[in-house]
Amino acid sequence: MASLLAQAPAVEDQLSLDSAILAEQFYFWTVVVMWLIHVGFMAYEGGASRRKNVMSTAMKNILTIAVVTPSFYYFGWYIYGCFQHGGPAEGHAGPAEFEGFCGATAPWSDAMGPNLQDHISAVFFLAFLLFSWTTGSIMSGAVIERIRLSAYLILTTLLGSAVWIMDAAWGWSSGGWLVTNYGFHDAIASLVVHGVAGAFAFGVLLNLGPRIGKYDREGRARTFRGHNTHLTLMGLLLIFTGFYGFYAACLVIQSTIQPGWLNIYLSPTTLGAIAFVITMGWAGGFTGGWFASKGDPFWTLSGGLAGVISVSAGADVYHPSLAYILAASGGMVAVWSGLWIERKLRVDDAVGAVAVHGVCGFYGVFLVGIFAGGFPTGINNVESSFGGQLMGMLAFFPLAFLPGFIVSWLLKKANLLRVPPEVELEGLDMAEFQADFFPEFERVPETIVLPTGEEVESAPVLLEAFADANGHRPGVAVGEERRLR
Amino acid sequence: MIDSFPFDEWNLEEISAFWTFGPGGSTGTYVMTVLGIVLMVGSIIGWVWLENKKLSAQAALLRAAGGMPAPGGVPPGPGPSQPPLAGPSTHPGE
Repeated sequence: MASLLAQAPAVEDQLSLDSAILAEQFYFWTVVVMWLIHVGFMAYEGGASRRKNVMSTAMKNILTIAVVTPSFYYFGWYIYGCFQHGGPAEGHAGPAEFEGFCGATAPWSDAMGPNLQDHISAVFFLAFLLFSWTTGSIMSGAVIERIRLSAYLILTTLLGSAVWIMDAAWGWSSGGWLVTNYGFHDAIASLVVHGVAGAFAFGVLLNLGPRIGKYDREGRARTFRGHNTHLTLMGLLLIFTGFYGFYAACLVIQSTIQPGWLNIYLSPTTLGAIAFVITMGWAGGFTGGWFASKGDPFWTLSGGLAGVISVSAGADVYHPSLAYILAASGGMVAVWSGLWIERKLRVDDAVGAVAVHGVCGFYGVFLVGIFAGGFPTGINNVESSFGGQLMGMLAFFPLAFLPGFIVSWLLKKANLLRVPPEVELEGLDMAEFQADFFPEFERVPETIVLPTGEEVESAPVLLEAFADANGHRPGVAVGEERRLR
Repeated sequence: MIDSFPFDEWNLEEISAFWTFGPGGSTGTYVMTVLGIVLMVGSIIGWVWLENKKLSAQAALLRAAGGMPAPGGVPPGPGPSQPPLAGPSTHPGE
């Protein structure tokens, strides 16, 4: 007996190490799966762009990784760790001054490099980094075919490494002020990732303006034909696959610290519970999207994404049937709001990101206030409520919209936001890469769908729109244009 | 148990310290952090500068060409081209 008791500390150490390594492996593989989200976004947006803009569109997605990764490492993770009370704590001199999680988030801390005694910090950071890429990619689709690559990179750095992670500190951590004071509940990030990225993108779109030819003289919307709808649909399915990794990475597991699975607020749930919700969410979202769009393939699949986003906030507690029903409503909301944004607000969101991610992200948090009120949230165990959800929405809309609007306005004033109109008309790939990326394929005339539904060759329409916007045709000086007329 | 690494000479803190150019919060980690931030900021400035140069050059080329290919048409450069759809006519008598 004495000998067995003597072995207990060693067994306990081994169990603790095994538990930590299992958690390390779990988060590592969620990161691998989440890469598919970015593969998907690239395919999705590339397919939705016209042939002349394919590589410029894809390059945005690729270089998102190049800018958000270091900026999140140097600044973003620190914001998450140390700004959970709103701003940095009183007397705060630097993360090294703080014990606990905040102290582990500085890029020079022990936790942010190779550390044989810490199996969790690095992979936990990586999971959040992949969420950050996702926020950038959400904005990326909305602005294609006219934004400068460099302007996008500045904006995505701001969104991915400052804006979204600040809202995550406030409302997507067990100690965030919205959580501990108001019971704000957004378990799988309806609002803190999707809604916030959509609101940020909306602010950018207001300054960026529509693509040349998007609206006719009466303000009616035309539709550009993406060069490969199959690629777009495959991209969406890859995003959906990656979402299982995203969902899983939103949970916490380390059995020696807490028994079983926990949500981000450290309230109990199971991996199976969220898998039920996400899968029923696709079903409901596809259904809602199909009926609201009368069978449009793009909106049917986008409806699936919108449906899942609409039920993500309460995915830890929703019944699968409730998720199915609410997701169907989310798919419909995305279609209707997307068409309203395009046709009434006259905001040219190339892939419907503001509707799918923005509107449905806010809608998802709203739904939790109705269907999951009363569930304890966060380390203070404050009950979630409609008022608490509303407080989160009111806090996060300006937090997301204003930085996007203000910084894109500054870039616009510096003439660094949008490509020159001649370049936009010709296609961004020629200016950026001096190449057409389908050299073996014969070119056919680009087409555009008029508000009447008629599909026509786009060249005359775009040249007329260029002349309307710039006072002259491309390549013709204003004075010469007057003489010719 | 495979034990080829000299754990008796290197404890875990020493291994981490070697890998990270010094333990957390040391001069080595501060220097590496600053260098990384310099690269990050420099690359963003570089992207803005280089892209602006490319776009300005292409826009100037298109304006100087006295017209431009049809949107979505054959791009300028090697290979067959197509006549411009806009710009002053180059045909005498028109």
